[in-house]
Amino acid sequence: MTLYAFYFLSFLAVLSALMVVFSRNPIYSVLYLVITFVCVGCHYLLLSAEFLFAVHMIVYAGAIMVLFLYVIMLLNLNKEDEAHKSNYLRFAAVISAGLLMMVVVAALRGAEASQVDFSTVSNIGKVKVLGNLLFNEFLLPFEIVSILLLAAMVGAVMLAKTHMKRTAEPTHKKNGRASVANQNITTNIKELTK
Amino acid sequence: MNAVYILSGLGIFSLLSEIFNIRKVLFPIVLLGLAAAALLLIMDWNSVQSYYSNMLTFDNYAVAFSAGISIVALLWFMMSKDYFENNTHVTDHFALVLFSLVGAVFMVSYSNLAMLFLGIEILSISLYILAGSKMKDLFSNEAAFKYFLMGSFATGFLLFGIALVYGVTGSFDLNIIAETVAAPSVNFPSLLYAGVLMMMVGLAFKISAVPFHFWAPDVYEGSPTVVTAFMSTIVKIAAFAAFFRLFSTCFAAVSSQWVDVVQVITVLTLVVSNITAVYQNSVKRMLAFSSVAHAGYMLITLVALNEVSDSAILYYVVSYATASIAAFTILHNVAFENENVTAEAFNGLVKRNPFMAFTMTVALLSLAGIPPLAGFFAKYYIFTVAFESGYVGLVLLAILTSLIGIYYYFRIIIAMYLKSSDIITPIETPLLHRVLMVICLLASIILGVAPDLIIRLI
Repeated sequence: MTLYAFYFLSFLAVLSALMVVFSRNPIYSVLYLVITFVCVGCHYLLLSAEFLFAVHMIVYAGAIMVLFLYVIMLLNLNKEDEAHKSNYLRFAAVISAGLLMMVVVAALRGAEASQVDFSTVSNIGKVKVLGNLLFNEFLLPFEIVSILLLAAMVGAVMLAKTHMKRTAEPTHKKNGRASVANQNITTNIKELTK
Repeated sequence: MNAVYILSGLGIFSLLSEIFNIRKVLFPIVLLGLAAAALLLIMDWNSVQSYYSNMLTFDNYAVAFSAGISIVALLWFMMSKDYFENNTHVTDHFALVLFSLVGAVFMVSYSNLAMLFLGIEILSISLYILAGSKMKDLFSNEAAFKYFLMGSFATGFLLFGIALVYGVTGSFDLNIIAETVAAPSVNFPSLLYAGVLMMMVGLAFKISAVPFHFWAPDVYEGSPTVVTAFMSTIVKIAAFAAFFRLFSTCFAAVSSQWVDVVQVITVLTLVVSNITAVYQNSVKRMLAFSSVAHAGYMLITLVALNEVSDSAILYYVVSYATASIAAFTILHNVAFENENVTAEAFNGLVKRNPFMAFTMTVALLSLAGIPPLAGFFAKYYIFTVAFESGYVGLVLLAILTSLIGIYYYFRIIIAMYLKSSDIITPIETPLLHRVLMVICLLASIILGVAPDLIIRLI
């Protein structure tokens, strides 16, 4: 039963991952990506890692996908015309991706399925076990992530408050400036992506 | 470990100083804090301590490199003070730099792959933003974007590699991985080697070794000069120290599997970067390629791994960083507002500011590796290490490429002394920059005359 579920989910994940790459409309790509994430999340369930499943759903299928959609719509990228890529680039990309796949497949072929003790495995994804690990062995990384998040947050604020002057200005003027700044950034990004 | 607390505390303090309006005292406090961090680190010399269930290990290698990073950061803050004072977001910039220093310290002292990953990410995320900190400049935006995209891609490789290595060894701990890998007469699945190679790709990107260097010139050119200086000194030191620590301790037992790859990367880095640097008009771009080239010289120590490799690399890194900081300070002063200057901007510098011209000469000669400066002995020790390990061909190639290096460094020196310029107004430098130049000058000369101060340290 689990085996069939595994094959079905893997098939679906690979199929939708291919569709992410092949569909011309970025919005479709993102929606297919959601399916991929859901399938991968269900794999966690099969491995009895409920907590990972929940986090995966919330963070990837939820937050990150919304961000993707938001950016695509904000930049008005939902056109079907892609930036033209030269054949030379495509050729190089196909070759290098194919080489990477060969390496990974070769590496996985040689690997033996390790003998896992299933009595411990059933506990491995439980919140309690995970919490114990996080607050004992992995305490430092767990705490240090806060610096990473803080740095990212400072950066986000810094980029967002771009051109606002420190001097007191009437609010409507400030907003006007901010929106002009936003437009500038958007046009800059558009020019870069061209 | 205390240094980590101090650096993180400083970062948070500089954020808070915006609220309490004490921006004026921020700069001296940051300098003091960095000095204190370096001192505290040096006091831990010769005592190997590991923290938090062996997440970080401060052995002599880690202490030397983190103290080096703190001191170079101190010099960097002296260099960048005036740039940030003209900028409205001083505190944010300082906070980001300090956080990235925390990441750098993790990268040189990790003994768990989780910490390596976190260190790299903390360093990189701060840098992506710093690279784009000139928000109205399209090149700066491009630099941030390029760095971010390529950086995330490289991190993906690193993570994939870590996952594969974990799959074989069952641990993130460097000691356990090293033990597992060193186990005699075990046939490891090729999963392990694929993992090692992928980690190598991820880290080679961070040190901008040649097949993975395409981001470097654009990012270095687009970023503000002070940020470029930060990237080509502190980031390079941290990334290389992380690379070296991983491969010299963890995967030393399977070196037969990866040493050829590193050798190919080294040769490519040396040849391609030095030859490309000759064709650059922009001084900043030239310095970018020269920093790629220096990564190549550092990689030689990893190819020819023996017991003095780590002290050779420490000496190289210190001499490279002092010379680079000096060169970037002068570039910053000469270029002023104009970010991308050609060698012509240096025309007749000796008449406009003789001290600056002299310092630049010493810095460039040190980078080129001319005796009796520190840069020469740094190269000399690395070549000795390689020679002792029997890599004669590699040494010959490296000597040839450093001859090419002399050509493009001398172009600026010739411009400064022999060419005349229409502009003869003297360039004023802030006192802080003059002090900084004197420090770098002395360091380049003293370390060159007395290399024993560092060379037998680790």
